Amino acid sequence: MFFRPRRKEAPAMTLEGVLGQNSRLDEADGMRVDTPDAVCVLPDGRLLFGSGARIFALDRWGAEPVLWASTERPVSALFASAGGRVGVGLEDGRLSVFSAAAGHLADWPAVTGLGAVSDGVFLAEDEIAVLDTGYGPGEPVLALAPWDDEARGRIVRVRPNGRQDVVRGGLHCPMGLCLDAGGGLVVSQLERASLVDANGKVLQAGYPGYLGRVRRSPTGFVMACLSRRDPLIEFLKTEPDFVAEMKAKIDPRHWIAPRATPEFSHDVPIELGASRLFGEVKPWAPSFSYGLVIELDDRLMPVASAHSRANGTRHAISDVATWNGALVAVSRASGELLRLDAGRAPS
Amino acid sequence: MASEIDFAALPKQHVPRWVLSPRRLLGDVLSKGWVESAIPFLALLCVVVGILVTTDGYFAPANLRNLAQYAVDGGLVVLALLIVVAAGGIDLSVGSNFAMSVFVALFCFHILQLPVPVVLLAALASGALVGVVNGVVAGLLGCGALLTTLGTMITTRGLFTLGSQGYLVEISSSARLDDTWDWIGFEKVLTLPVGFWVLVAVAALVFVMFRQLRFGWHILAVGGNRKAARHGGIQVKATIFFAYLLAGLIVGLAGFLYAARQNSAGADTGIGMEFFVLTALVVGLGGFVPGRGAVLSVLIGFATVYLLNNALINAGFRGDFVQLALGVIIALILAIDVKFRKNRHRLLASTYLDPVAFEAAPVEGMAGRMPHETAPRLRAATLIASGRLDGPEDVLLDAEGNIYCGNRDGRLLKIAAPDHSRVEVLAKIGGRPLGLAFDREGRILVCVAGMGLVRVTMDGDVELLTDQTERSLFSVQDDTTIRMADDLDVAPDGTIYFTDATKRYDIENWGLDLLEGRPNGRLLSYDPSTRRTRTVCDNLVFPNGVCLTHDGRHLLVASTWDCSILAFDLADLAAGPRVFLKGLPGYPDNINRASDGGYWVALAGMRNPVFDQAMRHPGLRRRMTLRVPPTNWLFGNLNIGGVLKIDGRGTIVDALWDAPDGPLYMITSMREHAGALYLGGVTNDKIGRLALDGADTGWTGPASYWGAR
Repeated sequence: MFFRPRRKEAPAMTLEGVLGQNSRLDEADGMRVDTPDAVCVLPDGRLLFGSGARIFALDRWGAEPVLWASTERPVSALFASAGGRVGVGLEDGRLSVFSAAAGHLADWPAVTGLGAVSDGVFLAEDEIAVLDTGYGPGEPVLALAPWDDEARGRIVRVRPNGRQDVVRGGLHCPMGLCLDAGGGLVVSQLERASLVDANGKVLQAGYPGYLGRVRRSPTGFVMACLSRRDPLIEFLKTEPDFVAEMKAKIDPRHWIAPRATPEFSHDVPIELGASRLFGEVKPWAPSFSYGLVIELDDRLMPVASAHSRANGTRHAISDVATWNGALVAVSRASGELLRLDAGRAPS
Repeated sequence: MASEIDFAALPKQHVPRWVLSPRRLLGDVLSKGWVESAIPFLALLCVVVGILVTTDGYFAPANLRNLAQYAVDGGLVVLALLIVVAAGGIDLSVGSNFAMSVFVALFCFHILQLPVPVVLLAALASGALVGVVNGVVAGLLGCGALLTTLGTMITTRGLFTLGSQGYLVEISSSARLDDTWDWIGFEKVLTLPVGFWVLVAVAALVFVMFRQLRFGWHILAVGGNRKAARHGGIQVKATIFFAYLLAGLIVGLAGFLYAARQNSAGADTGIGMEFFVLTALVVGLGGFVPGRGAVLSVLIGFATVYLLNNALINAGFRGDFVQLALGVIIALILAIDVKFRKNRHRLLASTYLDPVAFEAAPVEGMAGRMPHETAPRLRAATLIASGRLDGPEDVLLDAEGNIYCGNRDGRLLKIAAPDHSRVEVLAKIGGRPLGLAFDREGRILVCVAGMGLVRVTMDGDVELLTDQTERSLFSVQDDTTIRMADDLDVAPDGTIYFTDATKRYDIENWGLDLLEGRPNGRLLSYDPSTRRTRTVCDNLVFPNGVCLTHDGRHLLVASTWDCSILAFDLADLAAGPRVFLKGLPGYPDNINRASDGGYWVALAGMRNPVFDQAMRHPGLRRRMTLRVPPTNWLFGNLNIGGVLKIDGRGTIVDALWDAPDGPLYMITSMREHAGALYLGGVTNDKIGRLALDGADTGWTGPASYWGAR
């Protein structure tokens, strides 16, 4: 009663200060795209984006997208090299390398044997690091990851001769991969809400979102968040019996979990503050889906953020890229590419 | 479709006689006012036990009588100080005033040889005079209480010294004897000293004053918040003046009793008394707390300090050690008490919610009728008064088609037929109007959360019918007040049956009742002829909508969290409820008659597998409420609702839903009228109107109950 124990670890970041809520994502210009997921910028300045099993190229914002390539399965990762090569990950775990002029590279056969490719980066023109989330094709990663203790994700180095080396295993649902200024790997983990290096060492944790992909940007880094961290979900992680029963008896679509879309549905629970008033959800209400892009400095500390709040629609930001001085984000929920000005100019 | 309910064939619904839970007991006790005295009482208990262990015969009857005799004047002065402190003041002059009253009593008795009653009056007048000076300067003139009473303390002490130097020897050598004087000073009534009974009587009067009398309430209001009291029309200065005057009178009485007992005074009489009683007061109140007239607490504090002091001195300790020990012990008691008071509400908040494992029957009878399996037919509804209402929980239509509904701001609104474009205020009730019904005379009966059962005439006159019922036999909390009157219906004999959905939560926190999952509600009845309210059935799980069956013999009551509908036999209410319908897909709210002999059931929200599972884990819900912000608590889905149609035997025959993002989402009521269904929602700002295919366009609710007029 007289003495209160001291808190041992720093609390997670809250949506305050530079992470304070705004409606920048909802106010951003949007371009309708069917089932988008990944974007990347080619060395020639064009923007590539995946739309289901097709990849389109965009010369400038507002221009008509041009079909750049088609794939057999939906695109789950896009990343480009300085030399004009483009890595294309598919949701079934295959990885293909294209030339900027489109078409498979003859000297780089399709890579198989990975679970699901969520992102990748060219370490050199003949060397790729790819992320395998550890989940199979079609598995609802957002629903599964919060309740999964097993860290099955890995970084795999791939070479044109087909050789695959596991650089690092034991990652928990890795979603994004990029290089830092020194050439080191930076990996975002969805459920752990943290950035780690190639050795699995935590570079920065406590982000207020469930992380999507992380990219280099003029300010340092920019990070897409598939949803914001939810106190109820974080609490339930400490309730193993309840979660085990939920996993055993209930279909994943009913689970409490981050969600990609903000729709109303009769068969999912809500949080108390999320009930509608006069038919509307309050912007400050809690929600299992959310839109969030966080700009980071070189020390991986947030410097600006863009939000789509509980009453918004541009949720589940899976990828983001810096293109022609602006940020282009992918909203899975609304099926759009969003163009917004960077929140902080590079120093 | 109309058919009578085969009541005897329905399964019985178990209703617990009482709710037994240690946590609830703790929560209820913590919410009691008297728990504020818990630490002083425990401290007194510790002191008593300590003395019992260390001192032989301390609590022997003879010593107890002795203590009762000598503690009286201190006890009275504590009460006097309590009155002044409760009014937001302080009185440092009580010690000097006490000494002066002693001197006046002795002077009048021994020197002036006055009769004892006159001596008493003189002592009272002496005390009152100091009170008047304090009251005028500190109360009427508004000078600081501390400085004023410091001044009167010094002045009165000076007068006492002057008087005592001149007359104490003469008083000591006086040989006057008087039976009344000696009776007051030394005799016993029912084995206890007269003075002790005087203390008991004064304590009782002060207690009654603070609890029941206007003056006592004014003192507490002035002490609690002087500005607010002034704005409330209380004469603040006069109240403070009379508080000092009353305190002076009591001090005068204490001086008289002391004089009768001691028959003498010394130069040190009353010295240090103000600090002794102040200490006792602070121990009893747990600090220097204006606006609190806790008579029992301060007497407990006084007993603690008095016994501790007395026992230490009796044990033979040196005076300086006694003071040191007393100081340390009192500081410890105060520290614990202050901590307890600061954390009491937190402790109460963490124990008040008392979840229990709860399992509603699995969903049944909904195959092919769930929202994802049927077209959203409520999409065809037209919207009435959109944006001009605030939470029409219930909708009611008269024979002419005028709509009546409650508003969140406490008003009862009328939406005039035929175009329903004009919204008028029929009555300003207050509270949160919920369920509505017409009585035989065409007046509107309204269940008002936070108020009770209210009757409104078409002229807008409001009459509170009842706001209390019988107290439950086994409850620590006083549950006589109707906390959340929810819905009602009227039997053919005029008896009004209505629900008090939860006895433990207000309308703002009704959701907590779901997280608790306990049977906290009750079905009540009100007989307008006798004006008597009685509890028909206690311990129901959030009883909500009430509907009299078409034959007028049974009562249907929605049990919201149980996702079921119960039936009562009006001819044998004591038999308890039977399960009319269970396994609903959502949380039923109001129930109303349909034109074809069936019933409409509003669903305020939808069940889902995860929340049903959470209801089986009370520990999880409790930990959640402790560790997760309320806004993030897992909750039933109130963002989607609908309407079920059931036949007269309780079979679901139809279901109406809006689109998932449609405007008719949380439906808490619906009324059929002239071939259309009118839908209200407690969180909505509009009413929906859906034309019903094939419904009897001549059927209206009032005619169904009271016949065509």
